Amino acid sequence: MTAAPRPRKWRKPSAIANPVLRYGLFVTVFAYLYWAVATLPINWDRILQGFPRAVRIFSNAWPPNFTRSGLMISGFTESIQMAIIATVLGVAISIPVAIMAARNIAPPPVYAVGRAIIIVARSFHPIIVAIIFVKAVGFGALAGIFTLMLYSLGFVGKLLAEAVEEIDPGQVEAMKAAGAGFFKTLIFAVFPQILPRQVGLSIYQLDSNLRASAVVGVVGAGGIGGTLMNAFRRFDYDFAFAILLVLIAIILISEGISGRLRRGLS
Amino acid sequence: MLKITALNKRYGNGELVLRGLDLAIDEPGLTAIIGSSGAGKSTLLRCINRLIEPTSGTIVVNGVAITALRGKPLRHARRSIGMIFQGFNLVDRLSVMENVLAGRLGYVNATQALTRRFPQRDIDHAFALLERVGLQDYINKRADTLSGGQRQRVGVVRALMQEPKILLADEPTASLDPKTSQQIMALIRELSDELQLPVLVNIHNVHQARTFADRVLGMRFGVMIFDGKGEDLDDETLDRVYEGTAGRGENEEPGDASWLAGAKAP
Repeated sequence: MTAAPRPRKWRKPSAIANPVLRYGLFVTVFAYLYWAVATLPINWDRILQGFPRAVRIFSNAWPPNFTRSGLMISGFTESIQMAIIATVLGVAISIPVAIMAARNIAPPPVYAVGRAIIIVARSFHPIIVAIIFVKAVGFGALAGIFTLMLYSLGFVGKLLAEAVEEIDPGQVEAMKAAGAGFFKTLIFAVFPQILPRQVGLSIYQLDSNLRASAVVGVVGAGGIGGTLMNAFRRFDYDFAFAILLVLIAIILISEGISGRLRRGLS
Repeated sequence: MLKITALNKRYGNGELVLRGLDLAIDEPGLTAIIGSSGAGKSTLLRCINRLIEPTSGTIVVNGVAITALRGKPLRHARRSIGMIFQGFNLVDRLSVMENVLAGRLGYVNATQALTRRFPQRDIDHAFALLERVGLQDYINKRADTLSGGQRQRVGVVRALMQEPKILLADEPTASLDPKTSQQIMALIRELSDELQLPVLVNIHNVHQARTFADRVLGMRFGVMIFDGKGEDLDDETLDRVYEGTAGRGENEEPGDASWLAGAKAP
């Protein structure tokens, strides 16, 4: 044996190898955070005033007032109708769009169009889309249905396109070898493979649209959201609280049902 | 029945996978193609029904120059070329009967495909073939519940449903255990005799090639270097067919004739 070797040091290599860059980044981030906090107009007086106001709102909200149940039922009925119609139509449109937006099925120009539709449908939050549709077609459920359709198209279309891209190409190859054309290959080799995803996504989207239908109502696109907004405007906090409780109950129920259905599928 | 002349295939800008390949099959019977992985066996088979686009050369199947076709005439030509796959390529989520009827997709229209209303003649034929291969009790079972051997039987029946004039089989037994593999090869052999059907089989198992084939082709780096009867397949020939690995022939000239003369391999 020769002389005992010096113990060799080891440290986990840093994620950013260049030390100047590493510490420079730290300094920049902290400097920005300091500047951001220092220049934001945080008014402590208003925050302090907010607490008693919140207490007042909540005390006025209790007990919840269910006396105007007729208004509530019609609002929720409209919301649920909007959600169901928008889900059915949105999912129906999302299927051809998803086929167009699947790289393994669609030729490149069609693929570009399909992707573009999905990107546009996904780029705005439903609230913004609802504002635009309310301006375009006026207050009411129609604007809400259009909004939720676009929302469903973006979400289901994107995930379904990914499902199409993940299918087993061997099954498609076999149909082609039998002399099947594009549509017959879709019917026999593509749809069977994406069907479980398709059903799962549709159920999830119905659930999601039910929730979103309450939100789009706030900007005038029909449903329970409008009723809720009016209750707040007229300081009917007890009625608003009642609406919120029912909303929570409905969402819990729909989540339970859709979860069970989706588990049953897989 | 099949005549291939000067067939070249190159993927992208890579090496030639098929190098001026010539092949003629004039009589029914089972022709086995042996060769190491990467020799171009699968590419050759897929060029015949144009699942893969040849780079140059002509292929004439049953008097039709398939290399000149596109669109509908190509799909019609594919109907008379059955194909059996290594991975079976059954549509997992569909029943055995649906998978078998998929062999008729080149003949029925899209509405019939969508509603699964196939002509009575096709259904009778399907029942008869399923009974012939012993799957009459599995007709409404989902394809993914079957064992490997059963699945490949479905694959064989699907190919025969096309009423093909020639059958291509790409490593039909490579995903099966030895015993099942033997049974499937025997079945293909019997059906070839019963239907007077020329069958072109890619196969790794030299023993099976000797046992079941009327004619054996040895393929190496995109050309045929052996063409004869199974019993002529001596050790020296096998050495030449399987020598080296797929990457080693890259320095060879395309279709180098010295191979045929039995010159020493690189």
